[in-house]
Amino acid sequence: MKCKVSLFVPCFVDQLLPEVAVDTVKVLRRIGCAVEFPEDQTCCGQPALNTGYWGDARPCAEHLVRVFKNADFVVCPSGSCVSVIRLFYPELLAHSSLREDAAALASRTFEFSEFLVKVVAVTQVGAIFPHSVTYHASCHGLRELKLRDEPLQLLRQVDGLKLIEMVRSEECCGFGGTFAVKFADISAAMGTSKAESVAATGAEFVTATDPSCLMHLQGILGKRGAPTRTIYLASILAQDGLAQKSSAQERP
Amino acid sequence: MSQTAAQRFLQDAAVKSADLVHREIIRRGMESYDVAHLKGRARIKDWEAAREKCQEIKREAINHLDRYLLQFEEKVIARGGHVFWAANSEEACTYVKNVATRLGVRTVVKSKSMVTEEIQLSPVLEKAGIKVWETDLGEFIVQLREEPPYHIVTPAMHLNRGQIAKLFREKLDPAIDSDDPVYLMAAARRILRQAFFAAEMGISGANFLVADAGVIAISTNEGNGRLCTSIPRIHVVVTGIEKVIPRLEDLAVLWPVLATSGTGQGITTYGTLIGGPRRPGEVDGAEEFHVVLVDNGRSQLLADAEQREVLHCIRCGACLNICPVFRHVGGHTYGTTYPGPIGSVLTPHLNGIKEFKHLSYASSLCGACTSVCPVKIDLAHHLLQNRRNATEAGATSSSERLIFRAWRYAMLRPRMYALGGWSVRKALRIIYGLGLAGSILDPMRVWNRYRSPVPLPSESFRARWRKDLGAN
Amino acid sequence: MRSGQMIFDAINNPLERFQQECVGNLMECALTADSAASARQLAKVLQSLPEGETFVQDDPALRRLIEQAAPARAIRWSSQGAPGEASQATVTLAEALIAQTGSILVTSACGGRGASVIAPCHIVYATVAQLVPDLATALSRVSQERKLDSNSFACVISGSSRTADIEKILVQGAHGPRRLVVILQTAT
Repeated sequence: MKCKVSLFVPCFVDQLLPEVAVDTVKVLRRIGCAVEFPEDQTCCGQPALNTGYWGDARPCAEHLVRVFKNADFVVCPSGSCVSVIRLFYPELLAHSSLREDAAALASRTFEFSEFLVKVVAVTQVGAIFPHSVTYHASCHGLRELKLRDEPLQLLRQVDGLKLIEMVRSEECCGFGGTFAVKFADISAAMGTSKAESVAATGAEFVTATDPSCLMHLQGILGKRGAPTRTIYLASILAQDGLAQKSSAQERP
Repeated sequence: MSQTAAQRFLQDAAVKSADLVHREIIRRGMESYDVAHLKGRARIKDWEAAREKCQEIKREAINHLDRYLLQFEEKVIARGGHVFWAANSEEACTYVKNVATRLGVRTVVKSKSMVTEEIQLSPVLEKAGIKVWETDLGEFIVQLREEPPYHIVTPAMHLNRGQIAKLFREKLDPAIDSDDPVYLMAAARRILRQAFFAAEMGISGANFLVADAGVIAISTNEGNGRLCTSIPRIHVVVTGIEKVIPRLEDLAVLWPVLATSGTGQGITTYGTLIGGPRRPGEVDGAEEFHVVLVDNGRSQLLADAEQREVLHCIRCGACLNICPVFRHVGGHTYGTTYPGPIGSVLTPHLNGIKEFKHLSYASSLCGACTSVCPVKIDLAHHLLQNRRNATEAGATSSSERLIFRAWRYAMLRPRMYALGGWSVRKALRIIYGLGLAGSILDPMRVWNRYRSPVPLPSESFRARWRKDLGAN
Repeated sequence: MRSGQMIFDAINNPLERFQQECVGNLMECALTADSAASARQLAKVLQSLPEGETFVQDDPALRRLIEQAAPARAIRWSSQGAPGEASQATVTLAEALIAQTGSILVTSACGGRGASVIAPCHIVYATVAQLVPDLATALSRVSQERKLDSNSFACVISGSSRTADIEKILVQGAHGPRRLVVILQTAT
């Protein structure tokens, strides 16, 4: 066994995109990690943090710190949640009795692709996905976690996968959490621009390190009747050529 | 009942977000900037070292602002210049108006100054019967259109040449018959040249106030700033107090960085340094030199140790250019003097958090602004802190506060959270099953206005885990 | 701050760098061997301009240059007052030339403030000895020599005036000169 991983599943993945986490578990186990899921986990606190309600975010963060206190490695299929834990918990919990535990947690928490490439040092996970794919560089992973190459290193090792670069891959897709609802017009306009960049590649699929980006983009693409489908990074890597239900998001 | 700034913003954002013509104009303009900017960056051997150096300079200046401002003032006064400390817009405008009326000024030529926009100086002078000519081409254009500048560096980037030609034809000279930019610039030059030579007063801004040399530094390309500060017999500088830098030599890195971030140039064409009125024996130059130091809320921000670095801004515009929100709604939508990320951070501090907090919320927090700021202001982080300040000041709605109170209650109770999630999914399935997606009964209706509905899974991950994923 | 970090590339050949930057800045730089050649160059430039007054900084070096060039134009010396609105050209010295950015440094002593901006053509008469490698050197010299105490004005000029305010298209020649010519003499 390579290592023991405690899985942190973002609240919206747990409730709306469970396949993202199912595929994450699948890949982690395939590369030899034992995976556990502490069931008392709820949310990293990002919605309250981002809306300015730090007083409400704080106890939520403390709860998470307690849940993962004894974890060796915490792996999360979401760059934004990991950046909350690594970059914002120190400030949020600066006066909390759990601030040292929070600092310890931050040093052991990883986004899925950085865990594979930088911690386990694995890029070949035995995946087969004979399709064209374009990559959207989700903002929090890119700018806060400084992810650049890790997701691409993984994608390049996938058997049959044709990686197509999109223009302005680093431009925000427009999700932004509650921004998507509070400033719906702007969010949709940004999503449309991103959808156009995606469409220009002609790729069958678009992937990213943040399933929230993909959820937003799939909605935009679906509304336009565009053929491209979104698929989370782990869901690509989980494909091993065996007959299985596709975990790419179905269009309703 | 009049609209709040937030309501106006949402309305304008909705219109602009759907305006594909506008979006294409901005996209083309920003694309041209992106190319130039990359070329400019390539000229600097170590861009990160340049940013750090600029951050260091501004940090030193802002952390000792009083000392450096006093040093600057002393030198200017020793040379026969005047320095006026204006607490707010009103004091600043009154001072300038009084100087003008005392000296019988009938015509003013202005070079670009965002601070004069901030304090709304032109209307005050015009009301006193003084004709004010904006001489920067972009500012001249928006002045003719009677609208505010669209961008802090390129005020007229939202217009195409056809629109500008039509504007000139209607407002300046019916003989204007071409939309060629060279021709239009020549027309503007002809007209404004008369103003330069007729004006009794020139008003400029300042990019930097150099403390050890006691001079203002202005970076321009067109030469209008040069003419405003060479020909008229009175020169008035209107500047924010935060523009100060410690040493003349600091310009060796600030000038190239400002030019690179602002336009992609290696250096702006004219880096002008002026320390006072003309000296005896000099050929020309203003006989009177006034520097108006504008506070207008800056000292309050200065006192805030957490957010004082926002005053490091050198107004290069790079954050506006990269911001995806700006690229989709444009500069006018913000409805403030300073648009874009810096505006969204600064305006709640200068103009009130209650009325302008929405600007700090109108961001996906993508962090692109932070990544390009040449003085390394962590703009995205400040947006987040502004949001925190807004809730702590009680400026957010009570219903939202209640929602997050309830959210927090649920998030501390895993079973309640799981049950809550299940209930919401169940309710949505019923609503969608009845074909009511997007209707008033659909809690996701705002989401569903622009997106096809999120497919609802039959069970949550934790339910799957419990069922069949537990074993390794 | 990483100490000793080189923010800009080292300038190994200032003259070459200055000439390269002039090209990028849309400035003309004419290298001349001696004052006779400089005078010829000046005459050539003035001849290419439309009829009109030429404003010249009143300095012995420029007095000699104008005499050698003997242009058939009305000359207004800076000692007679500021350049007129209708001047076609101005001729001045510079305090220094800056290789890094292809710039000329002028002060009020170089014929005044308007001399480098009022006419459509500004001609600078300089020598290679005046070339400094970079902005840092030029600015530190200005500080050390207290140039801003003896002059109310200084300017680092890096090209002809221009604007990109219309559709971000570069237009050369805005309110300032359309042409900036540096006559750069190798012998002092």
